[in-house]
Amino acid sequence: MDNPENVLIIGSGIAGMEASLMLSKAGKKVYLVENLPIIGGKIIKNEESFPIMDCSTCLVAPIQQEILQDANIEVLTLSAVEKVAGKPGDFKVTVRKKARYVSLEACLGCGMCYPVCPVVLKNEWEENLMDKKAVYVPCSGSLPNVPMIDASQCLHLNGKDKSCNKCMEACMFAAIDFSQKDEEFKLDVSGIIVATGFELFNVQELENLGYGKYPGVYTAFEFERLFASNGPTEGKLFLRDSEKTPDSVAIIHCVGRDEVGYCSNICCMSSSKHARFIKHNLHDAKIYNIYSDICLTDKSYQKFFDETKSHDSEFIFQFDRKKMNISKKDGKLEVSYFNGKETKESILVDMVVLANALRPSDTIEELSKALEIKRDSFGFIETEPSKLGSVETSRPGIFVAGCAEGPKDIQGSVIQSEAAVAGILSMLDQ
Amino acid sequence: MSEKIGIYVCECGPNIASKVDIEKIMDEIAKLEDFKDQELVVKRHKLLCSNEGKEFLEKEINENKLTHLVCAACSPRDHDTTFINVCKKTQLNPYLYRIVNIREHCAWIIPDKEEANRKAIQYIHAGMNRVLYQDSLYEKELDSNPDVLIIGGGIAGIEAALNLAGEKRKVFLIEKEENLGGKAVFLPEQKISDIQKNKNIKVFTKTVLDKLIGFMGNFEIVLKSTEKPDETTELLAGAVVVATGYEFFDSKKLPAFKFEDKDNVIDSLEAERMFSENKKITLKNGKEPKSVTLIHCVGRKEVGFCSKICCDYMLKIANYLKEQSANIKVTHLIKYLNLPYKNSQNFYDKIKEKGVEFIRYSDLSVNGTKVEYTDINNKKDMLESDLVILAPAMIASKDSEELAEMLNIDLHETGYFQEVHQKINPVSSTTDGIFIIGSARGPANIIDAMQQAKAATGKIFTQLIPGEKIIPEVMVSEILEAYCTGCQTCLQVCGYDAIYFDDERGISVVNEAVCRGCGNCVGSCPSGSLRTKHFTNPQLYQEVKEAIR
Repeated sequence: MDNPENVLIIGSGIAGMEASLMLSKAGKKVYLVENLPIIGGKIIKNEESFPIMDCSTCLVAPIQQEILQDANIEVLTLSAVEKVAGKPGDFKVTVRKKARYVSLEACLGCGMCYPVCPVVLKNEWEENLMDKKAVYVPCSGSLPNVPMIDASQCLHLNGKDKSCNKCMEACMFAAIDFSQKDEEFKLDVSGIIVATGFELFNVQELENLGYGKYPGVYTAFEFERLFASNGPTEGKLFLRDSEKTPDSVAIIHCVGRDEVGYCSNICCMSSSKHARFIKHNLHDAKIYNIYSDICLTDKSYQKFFDETKSHDSEFIFQFDRKKMNISKKDGKLEVSYFNGKETKESILVDMVVLANALRPSDTIEELSKALEIKRDSFGFIETEPSKLGSVETSRPGIFVAGCAEGPKDIQGSVIQSEAAVAGILSMLDQ
Repeated sequence: MSEKIGIYVCECGPNIASKVDIEKIMDEIAKLEDFKDQELVVKRHKLLCSNEGKEFLEKEINENKLTHLVCAACSPRDHDTTFINVCKKTQLNPYLYRIVNIREHCAWIIPDKEEANRKAIQYIHAGMNRVLYQDSLYEKELDSNPDVLIIGGGIAGIEAALNLAGEKRKVFLIEKEENLGGKAVFLPEQKISDIQKNKNIKVFTKTVLDKLIGFMGNFEIVLKSTEKPDETTELLAGAVVVATGYEFFDSKKLPAFKFEDKDNVIDSLEAERMFSENKKITLKNGKEPKSVTLIHCVGRKEVGFCSKICCDYMLKIANYLKEQSANIKVTHLIKYLNLPYKNSQNFYDKIKEKGVEFIRYSDLSVNGTKVEYTDINNKKDMLESDLVILAPAMIASKDSEELAEMLNIDLHETGYFQEVHQKINPVSSTTDGIFIIGSARGPANIIDAMQQAKAATGKIFTQLIPGEKIIPEVMVSEILEAYCTGCQTCLQVCGYDAIYFDDERGISVVNEAVCRGCGNCVGSCPSGSLRTKHFTNPQLYQEVKEAIR
């Protein structure tokens, strides 16, 4: 074994972060590769996490800080794994790192560069609910708290106005560096954990739900960001492009479940959480949860669900998900569905939140090819069927954890991450 | 030795420098009346957290032979660790340093420069007051035992044993029944023979835990035989894994469920065992059923939670029946379908294609194999079939409470063992070094249980490394023996069982290896004999008296 002490972790969500810290504690050198400019994954999009409703940032920020301060962990943001050669105990990994154009060492995160940048763009991390500049951090509270420059949009870098040096002039620390280049380098590692997480089902595939057509229809993540105190509305529940709050909200469960072919595990609970949030902020709002089944994966979830049902929201059973329709009526949104008696009913609301299904992340296909590991029929990473209860993939020495393996909650992701660490350490000590 | 305090004001680029008058602050600090007996070194730096800044600080501490250090900079969340690490490179004990946040608390939030200056001086002054009252603290190293005790020989315990055992780590696996295997029906036989062959695993069957004392790395354990309770075994281990499984809710307790043993009403485990042994599910008379009703969620309302895995295995049972004979009429009575496993939805669709029926009920009563139910539309109906299979709720095993007491770990309100943090630390109990896995911490299927066993393995691998010492928390409580009246209030408020009572001396004693420094005992002590190191009353008083002046 050439480098028994090195481990590569791909993805810096809760699963990747937990594995990194554990392996560092065990004295291993960890390379934590993340394709975004920040670490933290999807959990940092949430204001609160069910069922304790503890503040997600308070839960995760100390973990992020610990990662950034850990001398055994090398965080490689804006990076992707291109190729993995070799065998367990001796993998040769090719990593491609995109230029940030801002020095991680020199930048303090003071934010003086954003206001002067003349380029205004939509902020995808904020679900396009707010703007960003060409030099930006995805959200306030980003860690590392160092912006990046979008090279395709920056006037200096894309050549539209080479003389634009506004951010550079505003920076007191000489942290802006237009000369940075994308790099490719090799890492020697003994084991790999894939923890690349998930994306949400594209609700525009379901035309009957009117997303994109009616501004009052939101995805689950859009709602999470409205809910977030560091988000576009600072946690105020305003309807899109207005300062009006909704009097009535319908939360639709299982959106895209039939299309993806599985239950996404977390949506019943996150929808209950959304109902609570609305009720706590808008006491008189009428809230409906339209569900077809209820998935509760932890011993403590039923109580949370029951409390939501009795205090915050009416729960309506929907017989056939495919027959739901959302349209405009009298300035409101009309949600029609088939009830338990298989007869058509409808409700009028100001806002609709679609609890969209979880699906494999966009990068997973390419990554699985680079890693030469198998995926299941849904596109998630498959655990080796001959190793029951293991989180090892089809390629020995490469493990999977969290939603890269299939939809699950934070608890389930952390359990798999800790199991992957056990797998790596067992392998290294042999 | 005379005191020499170093006060270093960080400019944080323009972040602090442009919002307060650092020169003025330094002047005022240097002139403080309260510190005329101490030597002060007051300096500024452009960016203390930079490499150059850290080197500067290190050199300053060494060259000036500082006895105390105050950094007036940013939030401790950002750079407390940075400066502690600088201290660690020098002769200065890191507990004789204090960070004062003049960025978030002054520069960034107070628009009036004069007011910001005043506040910054006040906060630095408070930090200087405190640091003078701080004491050097030293980390202690304790030997630790890497061996592991596993309680419960079901699939979770077996998997944990196989993963944990190695040349440098022995495993003691105890099981109260005669055989290993627990409740899992389709347990690979291979696993049990692997356990028996593994020379690093010692199995004790018909054995239960009798006593456990100590803390992570150093548990003293007494086991006792279930047959001869006088027969005990003593051993030492560094960690404990609790894998005591679950029990079924007793459906006969439900007034609406009337059936006797002779009736063809069985539970799902009986059905699965029957299928595993005979490849067939049959009636009491050995004949094959022509119609079967599968009732989900039996006792769910009573126990107050969903058992997560039943829908999935009930689909499997339906499939066995359909494979046994395609003509069997199979009807599920369900509340909701909970299918959290990614392949379950496909399986459900497949079963439906085979003609299995699903009816959603809101209420039902069982009279032998006659089931009367009300569906979700309030329509009443009746199903009579040859066989009824129940999916009873899964509840914590009945010795959980006693075990929790013995191990000093918490129980969740459902009766299962409680995680220290259900989301980000899900297999750790509320006591360090004790882990909870499988259905002992909540309903789990075989895959869940095995993954949790591996998760606990990962935790133990990284927390108890063979040959490495453990370093307990330094900021712990201590008792000033002369003041302790022996009232034992502190024993009741301590959540970690870190305080014990010394009968001979009549005083409470803190076990520093277990204490986490939460301070509960300090608040509760009526005689003021308890204090938490680094958070003593004089330290807090000195800081606060200036900060709120």
